[in-house]
Amino acid sequence: MSKLKYEKPVISKITAGVPNKFGLPAKQRIISEIDGIPVPDLMEEYGSPVFVLSEKTIRDTYAEAKQAFETRYPKVQFAWSYKTNYLDAVCNVFHDEGSWAEVVSGFEFEKALSNGVNGSNIIFNGPEKSEEDLTLAINNNACIHIDHFDELYLLIETTRKLNKKARVAIRINLDAGIYPIWDRFGFNYENGEAWNAINRIMLADNLEMIGLHTHIGTYIMVASAYAIAASKLSNLYMAIHRKFDHWLKYIDLGGGFASKNTLKGAYMPGSETCPSFDEYAEAISNAIISSEIPHENLPVLFMETGRALIDDAGYLLTTVLANKRSTAGRRTMVIDAGVNLLFTSFWYNLGVFPSKEVSTHVEESTIYGPLCMNIDVIRDAINFPSAKTGDQLVIERVGAYNMTQWMQFITFRPNVVMIDLEGKAHIIRRKENLDSLQSFEVKPNK
Amino acid sequence: MKITEEIKISDNGFVFNSKTGDSFNLNPFGLELIKQIAEDKDFESIRDVMLEKYDVDDLTIEKDFYEFYALLKYHQIIAPGDPLDFK
Ligand SMILES: Cc1ncc(COP(=O)(O)O)c(C=O)c1O
Repeated sequence: MSKLKYEKPVISKITAGVPNKFGLPAKQRIISEIDGIPVPDLMEEYGSPVFVLSEKTIRDTYAEAKQAFETRYPKVQFAWSYKTNYLDAVCNVFHDEGSWAEVVSGFEFEKALSNGVNGSNIIFNGPEKSEEDLTLAINNNACIHIDHFDELYLLIETTRKLNKKARVAIRINLDAGIYPIWDRFGFNYENGEAWNAINRIMLADNLEMIGLHTHIGTYIMVASAYAIAASKLSNLYMAIHRKFDHWLKYIDLGGGFASKNTLKGAYMPGSETCPSFDEYAEAISNAIISSEIPHENLPVLFMETGRALIDDAGYLLTTVLANKRSTAGRRTMVIDAGVNLLFTSFWYNLGVFPSKEVSTHVEESTIYGPLCMNIDVIRDAINFPSAKTGDQLVIERVGAYNMTQWMQFITFRPNVVMIDLEGKAHIIRRKENLDSLQSFEVKPNK
Repeated sequence: MKITEEIKISDNGFVFNSKTGDSFNLNPFGLELIKQIAEDKDFESIRDVMLEKYDVDDLTIEKDFYEFYALLKYHQIIAPGDPLDFK
């Protein structure tokens, strides 16, 4: 006689009143493959945990964003925000699609150059630019976005030393009706600081003013904030023309579009609440086109979109190490990927899914990472089916910031794999090992 | 291993604790286990019954049994013994 199928015994308390806020999902979602490659095959070949990026998703997302703008505005140029994900293979997909590079340090600048980006197609942002960095940028004819007056004077000094001209824009902070206002970067619009900086730059012999920049924040959930920002920059653009008879080349509205991840504490999933590329593009294009700027003098519109272009393309594959019960009876699960790899788990309720049909019993659970640290919590409350030790899980929407803000801590950083358009997987960053890490260390000779 | 007196278990897997007012659902395996516990069987004999009947190995049964058992205690379905009886 053949034996019956076994399932884990379960007891669950019946709680009266409101069910969970979205009701129970009809069926647990499963992610069993990425771009046609089964999850177990990826993990067998590249280990666990492993980051997997889909080239197809990157290109599709980029095409969607580009189309949203190009159907509404005549001249649009994206610049890939390096800090969001500066693995060369990722940057090269964006550059291949036509993106310039947006960098915020000498290191990122050199990385963009080494990826074959022409210096004049590099936007150099950020408050940290040394004389050496500025020299590199001037020599490469980059667009230098000045952050503060000290940098402006250092830049003037550097151009004099080199006896070269620099192409510049200023970063502007402004009230776009959203809070917090990121006023720590750039020159303020409302109090006239930005206008003062522009006047000083226009007087400087060696500075060619070519653009205006703002980056109002990140994960901006209201598209109308961009309309306010765009019309304020349009006002300055016209004021510069009136006073100096000079047309700038571009207006740069930075990044900040929300990705479909769900913020902690949000009532609804991000996929339901985030504006689409079309909504952002509509707000921005309308604001510039309906400003005073004559149609024949419309600036090129630069976008430095980061997370919204790459989050969806990234997955982290991980393995269940253990199941436990807390002293309060709560189900907890330990997986082999921790917060050191998933910086965005501090902001988002990341989606975690089984890679195959597991049990039908779903229970509110806490998912811990493997670090021997109390902060290592990937999800503090998630309805999850019981998964056994060794089961493989997939964490979705982790393409942005995790592969740059990750930390080497307690364990090695894992392989990063990209699946190309033909459905073939390639390692694009190798797993660290003892040698690679110790190669930075020096033991003092006694 | 004693089910508390105040516990009522119905055949469809519904459990009511009249002392705390809590009610619970059991899945079929949970129901089968709790019935055997109610018959005062010890773990070894429960394990042997399950091994005979289901496609499962002894370690999985053991792990799941004790996790289930801990939950029964937590929900006061099983009378607590002295937790420090190893002393
Ligand atoms: C100047 C600048 N541009 C673009 C970005 C990319 O932002 P996001 O990923 O929110 O689109 C950032 C990120 O902080 C930034 O500082």
